[in-house]
Amino acid sequence: MERSVNPVIIVGIVTVTMLLFLACTATEEEAPDLEDMTWNDIVAEAEGSEVRFYGWGGDQAVNDWIRGFLAERMLDKYDITLQWVPMNIDEILNKLQGENQGNARGTADMVWINGENFYTAKTNDLLYGPFIKILPNFGQYIDSEDVEVKYDFGFPTEGYEAPFGKAQFVMIYDEEKTPNPPTNHQELLAYAKEHRGEITFPAPPDFTGSVFIRNIIYDIVGHSQFLDMEGDPEVVGEAIAPAMEYFTELKPYLWREGETYPATIAQLENMYADGEVRMVMAYNSNLVSQRIRSGRFPKTSRSVIFDNGTIGNGHFIGIPFNSPNKAGALVLINEILSPEVQASKYDPDNWGDLPVLDNDKLSQEERALFESVNPGDGALPQDVLLNNRLPEVPAPLVPIIDRIWMENLLN
Amino acid sequence: MEKATRKILLMGMSALLILPLGMILIWSVTVSWPFPELFPRELGLRGLGAILQPGAPALESLLTSIRIAVLVTFITLGITIPGGRALGIHEFPGKGFIKIFVLAPLMVSPVAIVMGIHGTFIRLGITNTELGVVLIHIVPVIPYGIRIFTNIFELVGDQLEEQGKVLGAGSVQTFFHITLPTIMPGIISAGSLIFIISFSQYFPTLLIGGGSVRTFPLLMVPYIQSGDRMMAASYSVVFIGAAVLALLAIENVLKLYYRSGTGIAGVFYSGK
Repeated sequence: MERSVNPVIIVGIVTVTMLLFLACTATEEEAPDLEDMTWNDIVAEAEGSEVRFYGWGGDQAVNDWIRGFLAERMLDKYDITLQWVPMNIDEILNKLQGENQGNARGTADMVWINGENFYTAKTNDLLYGPFIKILPNFGQYIDSEDVEVKYDFGFPTEGYEAPFGKAQFVMIYDEEKTPNPPTNHQELLAYAKEHRGEITFPAPPDFTGSVFIRNIIYDIVGHSQFLDMEGDPEVVGEAIAPAMEYFTELKPYLWREGETYPATIAQLENMYADGEVRMVMAYNSNLVSQRIRSGRFPKTSRSVIFDNGTIGNGHFIGIPFNSPNKAGALVLINEILSPEVQASKYDPDNWGDLPVLDNDKLSQEERALFESVNPGDGALPQDVLLNNRLPEVPAPLVPIIDRIWMENLLN
Repeated sequence: MEKATRKILLMGMSALLILPLGMILIWSVTVSWPFPELFPRELGLRGLGAILQPGAPALESLLTSIRIAVLVTFITLGITIPGGRALGIHEFPGKGFIKIFVLAPLMVSPVAIVMGIHGTFIRLGITNTELGVVLIHIVPVIPYGIRIFTNIFELVGDQLEEQGKVLGAGSVQTFFHITLPTIMPGIISAGSLIFIISFSQYFPTLLIGGGSVRTFPLLMVPYIQSGDRMMAASYSVVFIGAAVLALLAIENVLKLYYRSGTGIAGVFYSGK
């Protein structure tokens, strides 16, 4: 019997032709050397272009602020179209790694990055830079000697990422159920004993759970010894041993007697919203006001920090090595470092993220922009947070501490 | 008695399938629903509003998703109908091996496959294009198509085709008037499956599309991961609704086309 004419042959031919066509058209474009250009030239170069900003897209408020306020401002002021591409940082790094091996032109112009991911990206040459010195607003508004600008989880930034915002760890309780929330680890233990099964935290490697554990460690053994500690599991293990004993003591009073922990902060947030647990935590100190407004948390939710302070860190923006529009990215990052944008970002009606500008460098009017922002229901004012802010441990220590905790507590 | 048991079983199973969907529908408009309460405490439209408001990226990405899934469906059918036919009708050495080998994309971790193909696509220059995304979606759906069409051709055989040829039909005529209508039920079920699998791809789209190709799951999954139940449920409702509508549309167009056809095509399909 004869073979019939297969439509697949036609499809195949079309596909191959398209492949060849695309392979031929994808040629490299010579990028101008931005370091040698004046700022005005960079702005002119960026005008009318499109900037693609890649970052975590799990928060509606953040998505709306970037797509709304920030995008509109860039379009009005510089005729730059901002495309916000929600994508997890691991996946962005995967993509950049692949493009690096294939020597390919990228699509991402900016990535939202910090900590371990910055460490990975920087050590694998995935970032363009140093670029922060090019930005006029960096010189004008940022304290370049600030530890939180120079270091990201103890790793020198060296101008390869620009500060975007600041976060600080807070614990959140419902004032109605918990009028006197615990402000140190002992009170937390007493509170857990009093309300058996109603306290828990996400197990590492969840980011927020991991910070909570470090915060307890700081509260028990102090924080200064960790800042220059080397990433040796034995040294770290010895230093945090008293904290591990504390966690073992706490364990039977936790939700499900500590047999299991929520896997993600998302799960804990939902458990808190449903009234299943009494405490939730956040690495965004204004999260609570946003959650109250969107109705997810009870209106009487309040942020609390420990008397000895809580861990804060910065988050940053980097430019991928193969960004097709570095000029546009520079203009956008410069704009993000302006008082107007930082103040809008700080407003919990928009996002509620702490600003990165140096207060001493702001004019009277610029300072007023921030003072007029109400931190929102349940959130702590900026100065309370900043006066009780502890530095993060160096990035290599984070996975070591997580692993030690898991070995001690998860069996 | 037995009939009654069957009915109860059937209803129970349907309920198991439908009830979770009902929960998603409720969560899409639920602001807060604390534990012992039987009904949601507060309802709102933050989720659906954010998706459906004009200018929101969700609807545009929905169209992208549908366009890609339709393309993937037709291309995959084009590949797997002849493939399944060859495996279902012809005998050749190594057939058993090939039958298992075509299932490989389901056995190897998709992450490994996609990361490997990413490198190749970069060299071809088709990352960050819709073409690249269409091609990467074809990989996981090929096994389903081949599987279904192999079984169908094993059942149908090629006697009908030969009969047509004896009566003087050419290859093209045979294909469009005999083969295609005969396997139409298979086309509809394989097509639906392929469509849905392509429609719900996340990681391959993300890596190959690089964020330039914005499909619906790319916006939806971050909300599912971050635990914003209202947004996640709202996206899911739109996602399921769109998938069902698109499937119904495809099925009806195909049916209509072959019902209106004359000769064996029409007769075969309507089962007269």
